[in-house]
Amino acid sequence: MKEIVTIQVGSYANFVGSHFWNFQDELLGLADSPESDQIFKSHGLNMDVLYRTGETPQGILTYTPRLVSVDFQGSLGSVSSRGTLYNEIPETPVDTLTWTGPVTTHTSQPLKKNLFLQSLYLEENANLGSSRGCESENSDSHTEVQDEDIVQSLENEVQYWTDYSKVHYHPQSLYELSGLWSEINDFNNYGIGREAFSGGQHAEEINERLRFFVEECDLPQGIQFVVDDSGGFSGIAGEFLENIADEYTNIPVLLYSVHSPDSGMDSRNRKLAISRKLHDAVSFSKLSAFCKLIVPVGLPSLNTSRMSKYLCLEDRKPYHTSAVYASAIHSISLPFRMQPLGPSAQLSNTSGAVNIKDLVQMLAGQARQNMVTILDIAMPAPAFTAQQSLLEILQPLTPEIAEGVEDMQALESMTVHGAFASGCKRATVSEVKDAVQAAYVSAVERPKFSHLSTAQCPLPIPLPFPSIFGNLIGRNGEFLDTPISESASRGSLEVHSVPMAARLRSSNAVLPFLENRLANLRKFGLARGALGTELLRNWGFGKEDVEELGEALSNMVTTLNPASLESSDSD
Amino acid sequence: MSLKVLNPNAEVLNKSHALHMNINAAKGLQDVLKSNLGPKGTIKMLVGGAGDIKLTKDGNTLLKEMQIQSPTAIMIARTAVAQDDTSGDGTTSTVIFIGELMKQAERCIDEGMHPRVLVDGFEIAKRATLQYLEKFKTPVVMGDEPDKEILKMVARTTLRTKLYEALADQLTDIVVNAVLCIRKPEEPIDLFMVEIMHMRHKFDVDTRLVEGLVLDHGSRHPDMKRRAENCHILTCNVSLEYEKSEINAGFFYSNAEQREAMVAAERRSVDERVQKIIDLKNKVCADNDNNFVIINQKGIDPPSLDILARAGIIALRRAKRRNMERLVLACGGEAVNSVDDLTPDCLGWAGLVYEHVLGEEKYTFVENVKNPHSCTILIKGPNDHTIAQIKDAVRDGLRGVKNTIEDEAVVLVRAFEVAARQHLVNEVKKTVKGRAQLGVEAFADALLVVPKILAENSGLDTQDVIIELTGEHDKGNVVGLNLHTGEPIDPQMEGIFDNYSVKRQIINSGPVIASQLLLVDEVIRAGRNMRKPT
Repeated sequence: MKEIVTIQVGSYANFVGSHFWNFQDELLGLADSPESDQIFKSHGLNMDVLYRTGETPQGILTYTPRLVSVDFQGSLGSVSSRGTLYNEIPETPVDTLTWTGPVTTHTSQPLKKNLFLQSLYLEENANLGSSRGCESENSDSHTEVQDEDIVQSLENEVQYWTDYSKVHYHPQSLYELSGLWSEINDFNNYGIGREAFSGGQHAEEINERLRFFVEECDLPQGIQFVVDDSGGFSGIAGEFLENIADEYTNIPVLLYSVHSPDSGMDSRNRKLAISRKLHDAVSFSKLSAFCKLIVPVGLPSLNTSRMSKYLCLEDRKPYHTSAVYASAIHSISLPFRMQPLGPSAQLSNTSGAVNIKDLVQMLAGQARQNMVTILDIAMPAPAFTAQQSLLEILQPLTPEIAEGVEDMQALESMTVHGAFASGCKRATVSEVKDAVQAAYVSAVERPKFSHLSTAQCPLPIPLPFPSIFGNLIGRNGEFLDTPISESASRGSLEVHSVPMAARLRSSNAVLPFLENRLANLRKFGLARGALGTELLRNWGFGKEDVEELGEALSNMVTTLNPASLESSDSD
Repeated sequence: MSLKVLNPNAEVLNKSHALHMNINAAKGLQDVLKSNLGPKGTIKMLVGGAGDIKLTKDGNTLLKEMQIQSPTAIMIARTAVAQDDTSGDGTTSTVIFIGELMKQAERCIDEGMHPRVLVDGFEIAKRATLQYLEKFKTPVVMGDEPDKEILKMVARTTLRTKLYEALADQLTDIVVNAVLCIRKPEEPIDLFMVEIMHMRHKFDVDTRLVEGLVLDHGSRHPDMKRRAENCHILTCNVSLEYEKSEINAGFFYSNAEQREAMVAAERRSVDERVQKIIDLKNKVCADNDNNFVIINQKGIDPPSLDILARAGIIALRRAKRRNMERLVLACGGEAVNSVDDLTPDCLGWAGLVYEHVLGEEKYTFVENVKNPHSCTILIKGPNDHTIAQIKDAVRDGLRGVKNTIEDEAVVLVRAFEVAARQHLVNEVKKTVKGRAQLGVEAFADALLVVPKILAENSGLDTQDVIIELTGEHDKGNVVGLNLHTGEPIDPQMEGIFDNYSVKRQIINSGPVIASQLLLVDEVIRAGRNMRKPT
């Protein structure tokens, strides 16, 4: 077995992660449920890759994500950082075994659980009840009524990423950073995060938590790392990644650096704008130094992107936007969980298994060693009979990408799952292969190499998924010709699953992204009398460090565009 | 006022306003922490929004749990936490001392004194106090065999302010023995060589010192022994995992045997490494029934575990990086990074290695080692907040002992403040000209805050206590305070000592921060309302 350990650092990363784990939980639930569709029952995915089996002190077996999550203190909302699985049932409230003197209790206002969490809680209790043979029927019908209310309340009230999480986490998984003493708005640059992580016990504790999960793995295939790189958390992630690179030399890290749409700059404040530009450059350069493959994710606005044709996304709701990114990450992670089969296994529901190491090798290890990849998705993926080819409908989630560039050396790895052949008939694995191949043949730009992974199982839509689907999308994610309902957006009650296609692409289309960062670093950090030198020094980067960062960025640019070497020498 | 021009929304607080904001923040922080101080203080139980419980009496922990927003309070908190980082104790005292300096300053400033003059007075007083501390401290000769009694007294003093007496006394011996165990002559003490490990245990509150090491993981193979005596320990950092070669290569095979052969060939290099270890085991365990344990920092995959298990070897993978160092100090031998040059000399020795399982958690004890220079403090507690609190106390205790050994001096508890105050008022003040005298006096009065609050926390009348103490001091006695009766006592007799370096640090950093805050005459903050209550 080839295990993956997932790490989520930062608020937005946890929003994305929460959706990601909801999908996994939904898949697990559907596989066990008698009334679910056959494609979910035999999805052919090995969930043990992401999950671990454990046991509570009471001897109850548990199945929890192999996850380390880092966030602000208080970001867990009404959920306890220890989860609920491992708690002894009656925790006596006042047991000060260590002090005989006076005790003062400071209780913060208990946060109210929202409808969704309340219903989860009820359901759990009902399950406990039914296993003891008590009546549970009426509570069942009771929850049925509430579903619309739940969806509605989530739509309006989600504040913490735990508000819509239906997953049980291991007590070692959720780590809160305490003692930062800075407001969330001020925690917005690389330097402050780096400082927070290096001082104090945080670094050691987080590394210990990771070691706990890695020690259990027989043969870890890699680490899937999601970082919110819009602020101080990239500093934390940078230090953390450095430790990982040091400690686990053989375990490749696949890094998604996610950016929420609203973290766009406030252009009125010049100082802040410079700080933000420098942060982006520094954080990207630092993060890419300690991973094997980096995927920048996060458009400045999803609402105005091409995606808005089928999806109604509100940029200011991280609950909405993170759902899209989580879907993409889910699709990319499918091949890591497929069973590698010999050529004789035609009947399987999946094909094209790769592990993280192979993927890294495939995209970044060959002739041109470019480690920055573009993430594209089609959500939902069109049926193969549709006029638009799949390749055209794929759109980037990576910002600052050049369109329509020709790159003879592009490398791609695509995952298509749950796609329809025509109408409502799911395509078989071989049909998908043929269709994609046909699409590549007729495409204008063809990559040098492409890998395809397919699965029959579409993306399941769990109840706490936001209502982001447009009214042109049917129950199983198929495209409709006429709008199905009055309301503009449809959620988990109307849409039960969607077919997906996602692609990682190593191409020189990413050049503008890199060049912008390099240019900003040069302009504000390196040029004589640059405005940001002082700022960088405050973040703990001396002149030489900044030069090194610039060097790393310009190397990345030259890998993709050897011609840029001459031009950059001239200045 | 360029900023005002640039940003008309920027808020400006000036002169007295700014000063009072700072003073209030300092006083506020003092108020929060002062009830914690001392062996009679209250413990605070913090219940979070999700029902999480934290129990603490440690100023450092408490500060970190607080959502502090006032910039002044953050500045003070940072100083206090830095105090903890460098010397391990005195967080609460620092906050209280700064708060008191600000309080005294407020009084003087209200009477029309200029902050600048006040700050000068503080500076003079600080220097005089530090000099006086040099004279006042009780030197302790460490030499090769430190005086265990003194160390115990220091540890007990610290621990009794964090845990109830019986528990504190139990920990005192553990903490002192742990530090003496890792202490090497002529080298600074590295407290990381004491591992602090915890176990959740239903009803038990118990702590013990393991001379050796406790690891928080176990072997990952069902056939490996769970208990072994007379063990050779191999500490290594060698990957025993099968890794695919970097070049993309597929295999082609036509039958099962061929496939087996291919896989075997790919595995060969790993197996060779495993075999080298087994060879070493066979060499050292040939004519006796000794056991062999590998503790590896890197991974070991199931096939390798299998081979090792068949050879009767116990193997642990992914050990903490720091444990590599600790193991060598505890068991002897050396940590190896490659299996090519294995010799019996690399091996350490432990009389007993056994595994303890609690639910999904496994612990491996490496005990009965020959000459340990590393040890483990094992804390058992029924729940996380109890464990966390004991852990904090143990850390503080360890650092207290370490400081004493390094300072080669201790300070009598509660006596120093009184003595220093009298010294300042009676001697130093006379040598100062002008109004800075008042600064010296304010500083002197602020020094008394610690005994005052201790008395207050014990339910005694502060005025009575202070008068009695100063009176006794003026008679020429060294006096401390009995917190049970409020009577003056001789702390030397009671055996309560503080760290010299902690005291010095407090005297040093307190006035620096207070002076900085006092000299602020304008606070400008753009984009936020700072008058709102925090």
